[in-house]
Amino acid sequence: MSSVEVNELSVRAGNKTLISDVTLAFEPGTWSTIIGPNGAGKTTLVETIAGLRRPSHGSVSILGEALTEMNERERALRVALVPQHPVVPSGMSVYDYVALGRVAHHGLFHSASPRDRVVVESVLERLSLAEFRGRDVATLSGGERQRMVLARALTQSTMVVVLDEPITGLDLRHQMNMLELMKSEVHECGLTVVATLHDLTLAGQFADRLVLLDRGEVVIDGPAAAVIRSDELAKRYGMNLCVVDVDGADVVVPVRHGDNVNGA
Amino acid sequence: MAFVAAGTVVALFVAIVCGLVIGPTSVPTWRVVGDIFAHVGIGHNTLTPLQSTVVWTLRAPRMVIGLLAGSMLAVAGGTYQGVFRNPLADPYLLGVASGAGLGATFAIIDLSHGVGTPTWTPLLAFVGAMAAVIVTWLIGGRSIRSNTSTLILAGVAVASLLTSAQTFLQQQSSAGSITRVYIWLLGSLASAGWGTVWLVFPYVIVCIIICVGAGRALDVMSVGEEESRSLGVPVRRVRFIVIAASSLGTAAIVSAVGLIGFVGIIVPHIVRLLVGTSYRRILPISVIFGAAFLVFADTIARTVIAPSELPLGVVTALIGAPVFVVILSLRRPVPV
Repeated sequence: MSSVEVNELSVRAGNKTLISDVTLAFEPGTWSTIIGPNGAGKTTLVETIAGLRRPSHGSVSILGEALTEMNERERALRVALVPQHPVVPSGMSVYDYVALGRVAHHGLFHSASPRDRVVVESVLERLSLAEFRGRDVATLSGGERQRMVLARALTQSTMVVVLDEPITGLDLRHQMNMLELMKSEVHECGLTVVATLHDLTLAGQFADRLVLLDRGEVVIDGPAAAVIRSDELAKRYGMNLCVVDVDGADVVVPVRHGDNVNGA
Repeated sequence: MAFVAAGTVVALFVAIVCGLVIGPTSVPTWRVVGDIFAHVGIGHNTLTPLQSTVVWTLRAPRMVIGLLAGSMLAVAGGTYQGVFRNPLADPYLLGVASGAGLGATFAIIDLSHGVGTPTWTPLLAFVGAMAAVIVTWLIGGRSIRSNTSTLILAGVAVASLLTSAQTFLQQQSSAGSITRVYIWLLGSLASAGWGTVWLVFPYVIVCIIICVGAGRALDVMSVGEEESRSLGVPVRRVRFIVIAASSLGTAAIVSAVGLIGFVGIIVPHIVRLLVGTSYRRILPISVIFGAAFLVFADTIARTVIAPSELPLGVVTALIGAPVFVVILSLRRPVPV
């Protein structure tokens, strides 16, 4: 069974259609990245998969169960979200922040069980956050903060993790670190990752599969290498793109229009 | 944390004793403490009949209503600050105060005869307070897309409408009733007897328990609505329950003692500076600290210019503001 099934999904806000008749299935142990120009509906799609938006038509199911049939707690036990702009509640310690991921497990009226604490400790350890546990979340650097938000999502212990632009604002090294961390979680725990990314080169390198979205519709959906090299990509972004092979990795390079290309 | 909790419990005990001991009829402290123990079955009565009447019929109900009012206003302020993620939120944010003010003014003044029906004051104040919150909720809280700022703005609109209606009524009435309206608006525990205590007690206790119980949910909600939903918190339901409990408890208190300002906004902030940002700590400590604070303030209000009294709302601000400023300057301010 697919872990996530998106079936004839449409999402509207007012009379504007954000997602139109999208059908996709995501398998366990795979990383899929949604790409597309600004306004394509990437964030809307992943927010709907995370259960934060209700479909106007169609459905999203996690492990065969429709999201709309679940309450918040049941949903939080099945899908975790790393949001694009996480709220950082200053004054809270890193440990307490990461432990928020366990709330769906122990409930709002019980304290964390020993098992909850073990999970939090092991995630802090895996993401090299153990030394920050007592720090105020507001004092972390961008990279540390993003790792902490990822840690919170991982402590939810869900099969499906949704990442919405998880590397926004990070330098190159931290971008790579963050994606590598997530990639190893996919391999080790058999997670299903659905992400959005603006950086096409990184999208191509880390995803097993790319879905190109434009104006709320799926344009191409396939193995990363094929989508990156497709003509549709440049057309949908409305620009010249050149794909260069660097040591076996596809690097997507934007090229300026017109007669400036080769210098004057 | 343990130190702060112990400190507030001691402060509460001292406040209770002060509330019972201090007053025009002098009663030795040890006799009052001995009599408290006698009431729970330890030792013998230590007060004369006169002292016993003064302490248990006059001072005790006033002290108890002070405890209830202080706890309720403080915990309601704390939960409002959490649910709205806004440090300026206080229990009167959604129109409780202006609704109660209008209701009480209706009861106190009577346009045709010049004499009102003050016995109706608590009832009309309560009805006005609840009606104001319900209208605010209907405007700003129901629709799917609404967020907390719509609710706050609806509260502002409802409050200003009701306040202007209240001002108009007041301006149409006689000088004598204006004075009584003012006295009510500034809040006082003076008229409280055991009857008042038993009337508001059940509401206030239930509402305090609900608010304190929401601590963990409010902690999660500090990451915002969308993220807390993705973490498994039914945000809209929590918000509704917490606002309903805070408003009901506040309305019950306001109908009994009038508009006591400052406690609801400042006590949770003082507690936050002492124990950090977790609502699981802020709320229970605010309950105890608010109770102690208001009983102290009332003891001052009824003694400094005895036999007349200072308005309680004035005293809470006069002591509360400097205490807050001192703590604020000693500790790094922690945002909500």
